[in-house]
Amino acid sequence: MKMPLTFMLNNQQTTLEVDARQTLLEVLRNQGGMTSVHRSCEEGECGACTVLLNEEPVNACLVLAASVQGATVMTSEGLVKNGKPHPLMKAFTDELGIQCGFCTPGMLMNAYALINRAGDNLLTDQVIRKTLEGNLCRCTGYVNIIKSVHTAQKAKLAGEWW
Amino acid sequence: MPDYSAGNNAMKNSVMKNFIGSRAMPDLVYHSPKEMKDLLALVDAHGTSARVVAGCTDFIPSVRTGRWCFDQELNLIDISKMPVLNEIEKTDDVLKIGAGVSLTRILESPEVKAHCPVLAQAVEQMASLQVRNTATMGGNICMASPAADTVPPLLVSEAWVVIRDAGGEHKVLLTDFFTGPGRSVLTRGQVLTHICIPVKKSNEAAWFQKIGTRTAVIISVVSAAVRVSVNNGICETARISLGSVAPTPVRVSEAEQFLAGKPLDDQVIAECARMAAHAISPISDLRSSKEYRKDVAQTLVKRSILACREALK
Amino acid sequence: MKKREERLILGKGQYADDLEFFNMAHLVFVGSPHAHARIVSINIEKALALPGVMRVITGKEVAAHTRPLPVQANFTSKGWTWRLADVYAIPADKVRWHGEPVAAVVAEDEETARKAADLVEVAYEVLPLAGDLRTALAPEAPKVYDDWEDNKQVHLVFDFGDPDKAFAMADQVLQVFNREDRVTGVPIEPRGCVGMYDTKNDTLEMWGSFQTPFLSRHNIAATLGMPEAKVKINAVDIGGAFGLKIHAWKENVVALASKLTGRPVKWMEPHRDFMATGPHQRDVFWDGKIAFKNDGTLLGLKATVYHDLGVESTNKGIAALSIFPACSSPTNMYKWVGMHVEGIGTVTNKSFYCAYRGYGKDKGIKFIEAAINQVAKKLNTTPEAIRMKNFIQPDEFPYHQINNYVLDSGDYPALLNKAIEMADLEGFRKRKKELAGQGRYLGIGLVTAIEPAGVAVPNCQMGGITEARVLITPDGSVEVHSDRTEIGQGAEISHATIVADILGMDMAHIHVKRVTSDFIGQGPLSSRGAVYPASAVAKAAKLLRKKVVQCAGSLMKIPADQVVLEKGYIYPTDAPEKKISYAQFADKMFFFPGPRGLDPEILKAHDHLLDVTTTWYSPTTPESGSSYTSFCVSADIAVVKVDIDTGVTQIVKYVHVHDAGTIINAQVVDGQIQGGIVQGIGEALYEGLNYDENGQLMNTSFSNYLIPTAVEAPDIEIAHLETPSPFSETGSKGMGEAPIIGAKAVILDAIEDALSDFGIRVNDAPATPEKVRKWIRQATKKNR
Ligand SMILES: Cc1cc2nc3c(=O)[nH]c(=O)nc-3n(C[C@H](O)[C@H](O)[C@H](O)COP(=O)(O)OP(=O)(O)OC[C@H]3O[C@@H](n4cnc5c(N)ncnc54)[C@H](O)[C@@H]3O)c2cc1C
Ligand code: FES
Ligand code: FES
Repeated sequence: MKMPLTFMLNNQQTTLEVDARQTLLEVLRNQGGMTSVHRSCEEGECGACTVLLNEEPVNACLVLAASVQGATVMTSEGLVKNGKPHPLMKAFTDELGIQCGFCTPGMLMNAYALINRAGDNLLTDQVIRKTLEGNLCRCTGYVNIIKSVHTAQKAKLAGEWW
Repeated sequence: MPDYSAGNNAMKNSVMKNFIGSRAMPDLVYHSPKEMKDLLALVDAHGTSARVVAGCTDFIPSVRTGRWCFDQELNLIDISKMPVLNEIEKTDDVLKIGAGVSLTRILESPEVKAHCPVLAQAVEQMASLQVRNTATMGGNICMASPAADTVPPLLVSEAWVVIRDAGGEHKVLLTDFFTGPGRSVLTRGQVLTHICIPVKKSNEAAWFQKIGTRTAVIISVVSAAVRVSVNNGICETARISLGSVAPTPVRVSEAEQFLAGKPLDDQVIAECARMAAHAISPISDLRSSKEYRKDVAQTLVKRSILACREALK
Repeated sequence: MKKREERLILGKGQYADDLEFFNMAHLVFVGSPHAHARIVSINIEKALALPGVMRVITGKEVAAHTRPLPVQANFTSKGWTWRLADVYAIPADKVRWHGEPVAAVVAEDEETARKAADLVEVAYEVLPLAGDLRTALAPEAPKVYDDWEDNKQVHLVFDFGDPDKAFAMADQVLQVFNREDRVTGVPIEPRGCVGMYDTKNDTLEMWGSFQTPFLSRHNIAATLGMPEAKVKINAVDIGGAFGLKIHAWKENVVALASKLTGRPVKWMEPHRDFMATGPHQRDVFWDGKIAFKNDGTLLGLKATVYHDLGVESTNKGIAALSIFPACSSPTNMYKWVGMHVEGIGTVTNKSFYCAYRGYGKDKGIKFIEAAINQVAKKLNTTPEAIRMKNFIQPDEFPYHQINNYVLDSGDYPALLNKAIEMADLEGFRKRKKELAGQGRYLGIGLVTAIEPAGVAVPNCQMGGITEARVLITPDGSVEVHSDRTEIGQGAEISHATIVADILGMDMAHIHVKRVTSDFIGQGPLSSRGAVYPASAVAKAAKLLRKKVVQCAGSLMKIPADQVVLEKGYIYPTDAPEKKISYAQFADKMFFFPGPRGLDPEILKAHDHLLDVTTTWYSPTTPESGSSYTSFCVSADIAVVKVDIDTGVTQIVKYVHVHDAGTIINAQVVDGQIQGGIVQGIGEALYEGLNYDENGQLMNTSFSNYLIPTAVEAPDIEIAHLETPSPFSETGSKGMGEAPIIGAKAVILDAIEDALSDFGIRVNDAPATPEKVRKWIRQATKKNR
């Protein structure tokens, strides 16, 4: 069943024509042009498709597009401001929390929500690891990803954040 | 040469489904009712083509893998946006959780932490943050998986579920809910609306543990929940439940009865754990052999009772 | 300067799944649910009737329109058993493994193709299985390839040094078994590509997750019966490869689909397909005897390694080839008198075997490391002492190993000492003893490993030779071309660093181009990256530098040796103020004042063309026959805690000391190490592909093929030694595989140490909680 879908996508009111059987992953990639939302397992196991739905990370492959009517969705494209990388992105580049880059957008979204939730509390390795458990990375061994999250939080606490 | 297990039971030339890495979603019409009456009307109107879903975290993988196939257009009824099903309420001595509440909300709920901490303990060890943000406990129960992690804590807490259908509201004890793997008393046209949990008393402690092949994001090889109440160092009542060891999550009553009326000393606990393991006859599958399941069930029961004892000190 | 990383982070990556072409169709494979069955009939009517379906390609059509897959490695001439199968990309007669494609559906969109895939009706006659090694080797076993005598594909026999002498000299001989389960590398991104056949020019161009475009071109062109010159393969951004995207095969069907439909055709593999029909590795069993003296001197080995290769189907010798390094690598970093190693490879009804970080050399090393630790135990000495006694010494390089490897350089004792110091080995040993009485089990593992890198094997597609091109464009920036695809291993940044250093340029102006089949070479496989392509690029850059210096000298009217290239500028040694930028220099060279400004000798030699294409080949391989050029080494020490009641292992500490020669980019190297170690940990503790008695693969998703998450991955402490390789152009040694080898071996060793009270041999990976618990129960029963 075809239907119009209106939601906030990366801070922009967006209306797309979707089919009720499409997942949010497909709609974001195919109709929304957000190709940073990566597709791998399509079953919620890998986290490559992680986006923020009403500010909380979800696997876009497990969300029916129709169900986000009126909701707020953010992908890693939404972190970019005036073409400039978000401090979180910069941290991942600086610390090389990215190798092949396939898991990265999903990691970014989960980490972004985590850092925002944490407020002034310094994140521990343990909390970061537990939070990212649903984002598989086969390249980095996670070490530099954890480092990147710490670095990003420091940037946030130093006031560089949006 | 090692002993490679040989096996040459060629399957009959049965009609098996094609191997397809990821299957198409069925044609569907999406409904998102807001009120109970709308929900019931939708369920009623669409008969066999209606399917109630909440977080879809089980529904979508089931379609992708071909576990579920639909040859007709599906009327998908999403209950997750219904305000009436999205509350965690505490009345006198019952915690009532709506079927649309996400696992994350359960985990973060102060009510759950205060009145049924063992449930929070289980939820914390379930799936991933992303999945917990959408998945519901109602869905976890309705899947009727023997490995559903919320179920053992609910069983030891003596929880019941509320089911709605055209005929009204029914209360079903969770012990009576499951009828087999993937099967329950729920019939077409019925919706699970709430899960009700008697609140924890001050002389009670409960504990949940699970074991999987990996630590994080893992389906339980065995899970165990224990709840005991203690008076003057003597166990008054004991509730012990195990997941992934039978066609449905189970309670092990022999072991429970054994523990009641006894002091929680090491020897009693060890014997109780032994009895619990003795009472089950798990199967071997991809995740584990039956031997390991029995073996580790004993350890988990023992450790859970010990943890309860510790908590009651 | 991390151009690529920044681009990817900004969401501007272009992975296979992001490819979009006008009028593009989509392809989905239909796989067999049976592991071994005759295809009786295929009915495609219902599938074709679905609106949007354009075509259903079956094995019959593939046979009609293409040729069999080409041979990639053939060693029949050596007198060894070496069998190959004549197969097409999709079989018409019978299926040989669970998931093997029987048809491909092409439709207007992917969902329609998926739907239609369910409607293809295939009738099978199920055949008995050769489901595992033992069944496959039994007399009267069902044959995977009907025209073969039996299921044995390869039997290689190697004698290195003097094995009989080694055993004659021995005080003791110890028998050692080792088993590794079948695993797969599973990058998070599966395979995918777009094929576009141009019917006007009869050319084919493809874009996708091609790890080795040059090899893929050969394969695809041969299958389609096209001249290679008419085929171009482009690598796009690749979401991890680890060897698993070398092999083109389903891609050939995508190419055919485009040819048959006249449309660009896209195929993006579902991850389950990648596991079930992708390359697998390991699945070996070692049975060996190690000979040694009572003083700890290692002498020799006699061993056989059995490989369960799965189907040969799409491999054409490339899987069997990995048995070579498996048999050669047990020499590791020690001195030996002799070895006799036999490698047997058997085909079975499982998915095929191909590269995954290690490609065989890992197997021999893991085995010998386990064996040496057994010897240490037998002699009541420590694992470090026995290694120190047998290491090749720093003054013995280049060292001609008994298996022809020419080890380039290193300081093995220093490497191990560094690891021991970092790990506080003695402290942990004490701690282990303290905890022992309290029912807590701490274990310390120690292994050392070489990583033979930069493969060059004659008689197969991995012949070695590599081409690179470095040129200065008229705007003064630099283009770098090579065969080294970027698979997340830092190829771009490494190339850029090398060229920037040599040309005295800013990395911002160095553009490392996407890899296409235009450049000859086998890409980044078997840790070739830092050896072959990097050497070729460095060599080209050095030659280009010579041209720049010569031309600039001529323009500036100074001798060439007085030209300085630094930070993007060119100037005379004694007059930095006369500096010109590369942009100005290039402008002069290309446009003004015209070639007349240059010394005529330069013009005669064509040296004013600032473009160098060159090749690189190992300096040691031709004479010695060493199939590798450089040998990175590592020492791993791990401390684990084992819960003996559940069998769960937890990693407490992990130390890795590495010597990859000259380090071009430390962050990249560390990243490779960390990633490799966690993959090794996955193999040691969780990863295993299991087929049931019907030949069905049980693990086709991340929910049951368990790779480590951030929770299980440990913190990793890394240190480096840098002994440059004299044989590569940059002093770098190939790297990226050693960590996965050491990590797997060291975790298993640590578990064994934790369970030393029980006398358990941990020789069957993965050591899952269930398996560990089983060993403990068996041992407890036995000891009682
Ligand atoms: C990556 C991953 C990891 C997981 N890990 C775990 C784990 O560790 N432990 C564990 O126990 N589970 C795990 N699961 C399963 C997950 O917990 C369940 O998928 C989830 O709880 C189901 O809830 P849902 O709301 O998403 O259900 P849905 O997918 O919406 O529904 C599931 C089933 O229940 C029916 N249903 C749902 N709600 C109702 C209702 N109110 N009334 C009637 N029928 C209803 C649906 O029709 C459907 O058949 C995991 C799943 C994934 C994808
Ligand atoms: S693609 Fe969504 S979790 Fe893997
Ligand atoms: S960087 Fe490759 S999967 Fe994480």
